Amino acid sequence: MLPYITRRLLISIPVLLGITVISFIIMKLAPGNPVDMLIDPNTPPELLDAKKEMLGLNSSFIVQYWHWLSGLLHGQLGYSFSSYAPVAGMIGERIGPTLLLALTALLIGLLIAIPLGIASAVRHNKAFDHTMTGLAFVGLSIPPFFLGLGLIYLFTLKVHWLPTGGMSTLGGEGGIGDTLRHLILPASVLAVGIVGKKIRYIRASMLDVLGQEYLRTARAKGVKESLVVYKHALRNALLPILTVIGTEIPVLLGGSILVEQIFQWPGIGQLTMQSILSRDYPTLMALNLAAAIVVMASNLVTDILYSFADPRIQYR
Amino acid sequence: MKSSLRYLTFTLLAALLVLLSACGSNSDKDKETAAGQTSSTDTANAADAADTKADPAADTATSTPAKEKVVTVGIVNSPPTLNQINDQGDSATRTVLALINDSLLDINTSFEFLPKLADSIETTDNQNYVVKLNSNAKWNDGQPFTTADVKFTLLTALNPKVESSFRLSFIDGTNDAGKLEEGQTELSGLTIVDEHTFQVKTKTPIDPNIFKETFATKVYFIPEHVLKDVAPDQLATNPYFQKPEVTIGAFKFADFKKDQYTEVVRNDNYYRPVAKLDKIYVKVLPATNLIAQLQTGDIQMNSLPVGLIPITDYDKLKALPNVTVDSSGPSEPAELFFNNKTINDVKVRQAIAYALNRQLIVDQLLKGQAEVIDGSVPSDNPYYNKDIQLFSYDPDKAKALLKEAGWDSSKTLRFLVPAGNKIREQASDILVQNLKDVGFKVDVQKFDFSTLIQKVLKGEYDLTIFNRDYYIEPSNYFSLFKSDNANNFIYYNNPQADELITQGSTESDPAKRHDIYNKLQQILHDDLPTLSVYSEKRLEAVSNVVVGGKPLNLGTFNNVNEWDLTTN
Repeated sequence: MLPYITRRLLISIPVLLGITVISFIIMKLAPGNPVDMLIDPNTPPELLDAKKEMLGLNSSFIVQYWHWLSGLLHGQLGYSFSSYAPVAGMIGERIGPTLLLALTALLIGLLIAIPLGIASAVRHNKAFDHTMTGLAFVGLSIPPFFLGLGLIYLFTLKVHWLPTGGMSTLGGEGGIGDTLRHLILPASVLAVGIVGKKIRYIRASMLDVLGQEYLRTARAKGVKESLVVYKHALRNALLPILTVIGTEIPVLLGGSILVEQIFQWPGIGQLTMQSILSRDYPTLMALNLAAAIVVMASNLVTDILYSFADPRIQYR
Repeated sequence: MKSSLRYLTFTLLAALLVLLSACGSNSDKDKETAAGQTSSTDTANAADAADTKADPAADTATSTPAKEKVVTVGIVNSPPTLNQINDQGDSATRTVLALINDSLLDINTSFEFLPKLADSIETTDNQNYVVKLNSNAKWNDGQPFTTADVKFTLLTALNPKVESSFRLSFIDGTNDAGKLEEGQTELSGLTIVDEHTFQVKTKTPIDPNIFKETFATKVYFIPEHVLKDVAPDQLATNPYFQKPEVTIGAFKFADFKKDQYTEVVRNDNYYRPVAKLDKIYVKVLPATNLIAQLQTGDIQMNSLPVGLIPITDYDKLKALPNVTVDSSGPSEPAELFFNNKTINDVKVRQAIAYALNRQLIVDQLLKGQAEVIDGSVPSDNPYYNKDIQLFSYDPDKAKALLKEAGWDSSKTLRFLVPAGNKIREQASDILVQNLKDVGFKVDVQKFDFSTLIQKVLKGEYDLTIFNRDYYIEPSNYFSLFKSDNANNFIYYNNPQADELITQGSTESDPAKRHDIYNKLQQILHDDLPTLSVYSEKRLEAVSNVVVGGKPLNLGTFNNVNEWDLTTN
């Protein structure tokens, strides 16, 4: 196992490098730059040029990339073009809230989706199954911004139960309770999408297993139906789900961009949007790198966990 | 089988652990910042009982803690920075800066200048300006504010290695870019008379209002005693600008969480009457939530121009019982810019003007909360030319003009629309329909602003629409039309207009200036290098609990120290 992990980690280095090159190219190909945006006919062109020079935008593409990379190798992610704050600090501040939101949503989503998915598969083609598949479809297709605004309208304007947005009450005492109150709505919106998707996966996977010969054998032996479902079938059905969950984490981080906007959740998503709009290259590069690392890490962790969960799979 | 179940449990537990640790570390951080806040306000306002609400220890010490007076202002975009000498042209930054920084003069909505750090600014020849500072003025750490700080600020901001948003190229001793030359350590246009008096000499005589607007109301100061040892090229990344605790204003910096809020607390060392409020939050939230939060009392007011309530919500806002709504004066217009190189026939541009039903946009889309003007200058600017006959909606005339001009109807107009401002996008849809009705082919391209500007600067457009900045000083509206301005992206070239623009910006006699600008506006109206579509009257909403303050187009915070809350 250990050699396998080491090999995977070593492979990830050139991959990450490649990702930074590609994202740097794409970023530079995108029209516009942080200086030309400051269009104001009263700004002397010399000043704009001086600013480009200061930010290193006048040097060639390769020089700019090399400058960024050598900074990275020295552990420097640079300073934001717009706030002049250190990029590492900006991202560090945001990653916690984003993870909290994404993982809470994942947890809620799975807690709802797993039992419903199983129940749906067990009652295959019954009314309950049809209702669940229908609801899953609704959950999957409802746009998060619409759901978000709807929930805000309902829970804050109509019944005043929950705050409209943010992560803590301004001037409040703070604390876990306060954060949780702010977390409920955005996490629910994200969770709805997860539930919709996961119910379908779990149902399909469960149906697949339920049709297997060994279950017929188990039933023939006289094993109780509940044991058949929860002991024999479920365990096998959950194996492919593990992979899906692993790939869900990067999707969640991407999907939270919208939700973070609506609920003013101070996470990575908001930072990403603003950095794109203001062409804040150093921040964008660091965000890309972080995203790439998260994707690769969650893939690796999934693979490792999979081999634990299913001894038939061996990595060497 | 058995072992696989165990591993599965292990997996789920591991996932839970990750989640919990994320929760835990996060709330820890929350506590830390909360504790940091209280302790910092505590030491600063040791004598101030109002702040003790957040501090349980002090709570027991004072028997009757007063309720904190807090006002929260809603804003739509987060300020990118709080650097008072480099606001990056960002209106959100300017909003927050105005709370914690005083300028020499302030301004109100009637374009009147009010004394702030300066007691007086006087000139006899429109070239030498004598500024007398308020002798009580001091930084919020108690250090006196003197002409040494003025000199330090100017020499720093004008240093070519320092990025600054100050536009002071009219001061004697600066180059065309408004900077000092490399290695230059003195500014010849600045004379320090004594601790509280200094004199600024301009290159040529200028209208005192230019000096007052661009120097006296837009220059904020940095403390020499804090920043004197910082190398110029290291200044922007200095920690001071991430947490500008030492400033000079009615409020002082307490906390800045980008994309969330800025918190400022009362400055008890203020040289003017100390503020009545304890705290002001400037909170970032989506425009669609502004009304909801006004209703719930999470915010007490919106802000102009970065906390605009969509005008489509006008009726809903009016119906709120706890909020008072006003309309601002007409603001900087949404302006249709022609590429005067590709649409070089003035008749075609006039045809476009006649083709557009701007009154419909104002009446229906903006619910009457706007007015139609043709030029770039809003109608309440003292230099607005009232005698100009506006273009009417006359599609037949437009068609006739097009025929006369021999417009090739197979030609497609590239109309670039910036995404983001919904009202402007909807207005653009109406404009496109109007243009099609008279026989234009229009290709609408929507871009984010950065992309759009890039295309516009390259001349890859025929028509585009956006709003410029709001200025008091009229010359700022006209510099765009000067043929030798490198930023003249509309490719307008009229020597007569050039001459008037130059005259207008150097003429110091107001009556003559009026004359010049009236003529100039007439020429620009006839040539039509740009056409304004609507000049919005923005919604100013303020909760009834706030006394003495409301959002304004200009000078919202000029009396922020007098703001208060009703007692009940």
